[in-house]
Amino acid sequence: MWSYLRRRILQSALPLVAVVLGVFVLVRLTGDPSKLYLPLNATDQMRADFAARNGFDRSIWDQMGDYFLGVLQLDLGESLRTGEPAAEMVLRAFPATLQLAAVTMLLAVCLAVVLGSWASLKPNGLADRIVSFFSMTAASVPDFWLAILGIWIFAITLGWLPTSGTTGATAWVLPIATLMLRPVGVLAQVVRGSMVTVLGQPYIKVARSRGAGQMHIVVRHALRNAAAPALTVAGDLTVGLVNGAVVVESIFGWPGIGKLMIDSILQRDFAVLQAAVLVTALAIFALNIVIDLGYALLDPRVRPQAAKRRRGGAARPDKHAEVLTDA
Amino acid sequence: MKLFSPHRTIARSAAAIAGVASIAVLASCSVANSTPDGDSDSAGDTLRVVLTQEPPTLEACDANLTSTGVVVRSTVTEPLVERDPSTGDLQPLLATAWEQTGDTEWTFTVRDDVTFQDGTAFDAAAAAHSIDRAVNGDLGCNVEGYIFGDDDLGLEVVDATTLKVTTVAPDPILPLKLSFIEIVSPETSADEFVREPIGTGPYAIGEWQAGTKLTLERYDDYWGEAPEFAEVEYQWRSEGTVRAAMVTSGEADIALGLSAEDGIGDLGLSYPNNETIALRFSGQTAPLDDIRVRQAINYAIDREGIVSSLFPDGDKVAAQLIPQGIVGFNADLKPWPYDPAKAKALIDEARADGVAVDTKIIMPVRTAQFPKVNELGEVLREQLAGIGLDVDLRMVDTTQHLQYQLRPFVGDEGPISMLIQHGNQAGDAQFTVEQYMLTGGAQAEFGDPGLDELITTARNLTGDERQAAYEEVFAYERENVVALAPIAHQTVMLGVSDRVSYTPNSSTGDELRIKEVSLAG
Amino acid sequence: MPDNDASTVAVLTDRARRGRASGRPGLWGLLLRDKVATSAAVVLLLAVLTAIAGPMLFGELAQRQDLGSRNMPPLSLHLGWEYVLGSDSLGRSLLARIAFAAGTTLGVSAAAVAISAIVGSIWGMWAGFHRGWRESVSMRIADVIMSFPSLLLAVVILYVFNPSAANIVLVLAITRIPLYLRTARADAAELRSRMFVDAAQNFGAKQGAIVSRHIVPNVLPTLVTLATLEFCYVMLAESSLSFLGIGIQPPDVSWGLMVAQGRQYLADAWWQSVLPGLAIVITTVAANVLAAWLRLATDPGQRWRLQAKRRRRLIASIAPRR
Repeated sequence: MWSYLRRRILQSALPLVAVVLGVFVLVRLTGDPSKLYLPLNATDQMRADFAARNGFDRSIWDQMGDYFLGVLQLDLGESLRTGEPAAEMVLRAFPATLQLAAVTMLLAVCLAVVLGSWASLKPNGLADRIVSFFSMTAASVPDFWLAILGIWIFAITLGWLPTSGTTGATAWVLPIATLMLRPVGVLAQVVRGSMVTVLGQPYIKVARSRGAGQMHIVVRHALRNAAAPALTVAGDLTVGLVNGAVVVESIFGWPGIGKLMIDSILQRDFAVLQAAVLVTALAIFALNIVIDLGYALLDPRVRPQAAKRRRGGAARPDKHAEVLTDA
Repeated sequence: MKLFSPHRTIARSAAAIAGVASIAVLASCSVANSTPDGDSDSAGDTLRVVLTQEPPTLEACDANLTSTGVVVRSTVTEPLVERDPSTGDLQPLLATAWEQTGDTEWTFTVRDDVTFQDGTAFDAAAAAHSIDRAVNGDLGCNVEGYIFGDDDLGLEVVDATTLKVTTVAPDPILPLKLSFIEIVSPETSADEFVREPIGTGPYAIGEWQAGTKLTLERYDDYWGEAPEFAEVEYQWRSEGTVRAAMVTSGEADIALGLSAEDGIGDLGLSYPNNETIALRFSGQTAPLDDIRVRQAINYAIDREGIVSSLFPDGDKVAAQLIPQGIVGFNADLKPWPYDPAKAKALIDEARADGVAVDTKIIMPVRTAQFPKVNELGEVLREQLAGIGLDVDLRMVDTTQHLQYQLRPFVGDEGPISMLIQHGNQAGDAQFTVEQYMLTGGAQAEFGDPGLDELITTARNLTGDERQAAYEEVFAYERENVVALAPIAHQTVMLGVSDRVSYTPNSSTGDELRIKEVSLAG
Repeated sequence: MPDNDASTVAVLTDRARRGRASGRPGLWGLLLRDKVATSAAVVLLLAVLTAIAGPMLFGELAQRQDLGSRNMPPLSLHLGWEYVLGSDSLGRSLLARIAFAAGTTLGVSAAAVAISAIVGSIWGMWAGFHRGWRESVSMRIADVIMSFPSLLLAVVILYVFNPSAANIVLVLAITRIPLYLRTARADAAELRSRMFVDAAQNFGAKQGAIVSRHIVPNVLPTLVTLATLEFCYVMLAESSLSFLGIGIQPPDVSWGLMVAQGRQYLADAWWQSVLPGLAIVITTVAANVLAAWLRLATDPGQRWRLQAKRRRRLIASIAPRR
């Protein structure tokens, strides 16, 4: 496993550089930030000074070189807007989003597994239709709409929860509920789908005929084998959350990295944006590696050692093994 | 064939439980870098304010930026003189008296009983240090570009309470300009920006949990009258409905930047905020280089209709770029009447003369600049299309809008008629006129020699002469230049909870003076 | 994803084909049997028709401002039939705006999905079939696109090109390609390793034939389901972009933009935000239902659930056949 890990880490290095480079170049195509940061009647001299202070008067290659040299020394530049080190701002904002995303996905997965399994026991039955309808609707509502409605109903009208902010345990409820709805909807459908397939397998029939109870079958046999597609989708959803629960953070005043990113994009705060993208991309790559390891944990056939053994001469090649080792 | 192994299952369940538990612990801790409040905030001691955005910095020499100034000005730091927004008069603050002692020289007498929040004494030298840092230094302070331009100020400390300020050219409104310079402790570095300044104001910066909350604490050795609140807590939310909700549900006492639809109800106070919206023409590009076309556009805008339907909470139709209360406001100037027939006639006349009136005119409008800016853009486009012009409405973000707004202007996209919002914070028409109308002004796309002459003459006058001269400037512009199409003087809404009592004025959005807020009843 | 053996797939596909010829229900017949799926298909069809006809029929009405009739509630028929759904903040008929916006919304979503699906799937199948360095490089590029902040892409494109609906299509298409890429690659890689491909190669079949006859039909069901789900996601993503101010810009209009702009009026004129939002929800739910049905219908191993008569389905659900 360690060699696999090492290989994956090395393989992720190039995409990481590509992402940061891409952001570096693209953000400099969006207009001159000096107009935003200098007073309205700044003279040409002031603009020239501003450009010189921030290195904008040099060629893009020079700027890139400087930046990467800085990154190697862990200096990610300074915010044009606040003057603080970009690394500090990003590392302050990132844990806030991470906490939000982690709790959201955990709750979403648990709820989705329960709902999806329950629905799959009787396909097209009442439970299935209710869960399907609910999960489809949940996956179809715009998130900012939900957030504002939630504030309206629970904070203003009923007064049960605070409107926004991060203080107190109750402040977590609305943001997480808003963020959670779509993942629950999507995951419940995926879990239901793959559980239906798995429950139709011969070995389930065998287990039933041996007298195993329903719960036992679902939890011990079916879930583990149905987990793979759910894991992929859960992984994608988590990446989506990490990449920016921008809307929820904006509305609820959550000091996370989504809000930081959209602010720095709109205000052309180059250094902060680059730092934010760097940190987020690192997290996403790490997440992908964790998900692939998760596949291995769930399905022994998929583990790299198993694949190695099998490559020796088995008759039945395995899709997941090849997925892991070559990609 | 074993379908599962009991040991592995137990191990895995244990791992899962450990995982869940650790995340639950994580979650129960507060959000990264926000410490939970101790006791309840509704104790009378803390004033809770919610802003539209987090101040990027509290650096005092950038205090003319509204997002910084709203916290800092006259609360954490103080200037030598303070402008009263309602009357326009200058009130003494750190300076007790001032007079013009020469053509280019003013002498200020400052207080002797003031200490900075770090213990150093305030004197004329400290004042000189702050002015020098903001205006003469190399920092590139925002207030330098906004108020003073390239010219430096000469500073002479005569004694501990007397300061002589010399200007390059005679400047009758120097004290007004100095009201923008916030005095900071002489220990403040002159070579770099300082995020948390030390001033003489009634509140010192307590704790700034960046991203979450900013707290100010009452400064006990303040030279003036002690303010009511022991602490001020600032938060920020980008959604107007959320800000309003915080006030109505008791989570905040004051909310800035609201509009009537945000649901603030009776707790909302509408007040004029010095901002005026207008269309600005690129008068060097056909067909906008023909004055008839510019006049036609002015006739085509139904200002009354726009104000009464979109902005009914107190906005007034505008005839010029500054509202009443600013020195130079011409009360005799009537707004352009709504006359689409006349507008069409003018366009036809221009077309007959060979002016290319069918060229596509671009109208850049900044998204989220103020409430209902989208609707206004669409209405304007509709009204201009109604007289036969081909208008391309472009909603753009701030940076893009600034490319159109400031020098060097966008010259290769054809004629541009952009929506601008101008706020004259200073209280004198000079700032407006020299930006928007003087040839070469930062936001003037074209000029007129006659107008330039009037403007340069008015600059050096004082009192009634000054008022009359600027009135003439606006009248002349309206008759002969038509560089702009003024639309409305704006109002904005403040949310104030029942717990506190505060009367907003035109500068509230630029500087929220906490010393003017008190507990209700 | 069917776990069945390749031979079963081939046999069932054949049987199904023969079955259709002998009178057993084809895809349409299956659809008509399931009432829920039929209604979803009808709703979707209505949406598509509105999207096509809406701009033509309601174009002018959707732009007609009337500042005197701003924020009229639904059923304000005294002002005219077009105000049956109320009016927006500029007095324009909400019915006309929703119908007109259907064209933009569905057009943008369909275009974005179509582009990303076609590009991503072809690329993914190519990568998965060939394995080796082509696969690794493609996967790395997918990683790059996935980690790239789509918001930045939206702002850059908005800046470089003039605001138009095509920009949004570009942004959404590019950011969703990796999903199809990875799914298609994984499926293609797995199928390629199955015995029937080896068998086909042994029989001398050319690569193109193998891909089109064996790989594509088996990958297609998953991709179709994915595309339908993505259609919903893209519609919601467009509304989020509009909320942030970097999506569709006025004077263009889309459901997402209407929901985003109407949120300021939730207290006084809720219909401006809620009705377009309902349009989004109804369309996406219909698409989801159809996607779920399609998944069953195009999967030969699961079709029986839809084909069996009701009583048999009841029995089957108690004691599953397989």
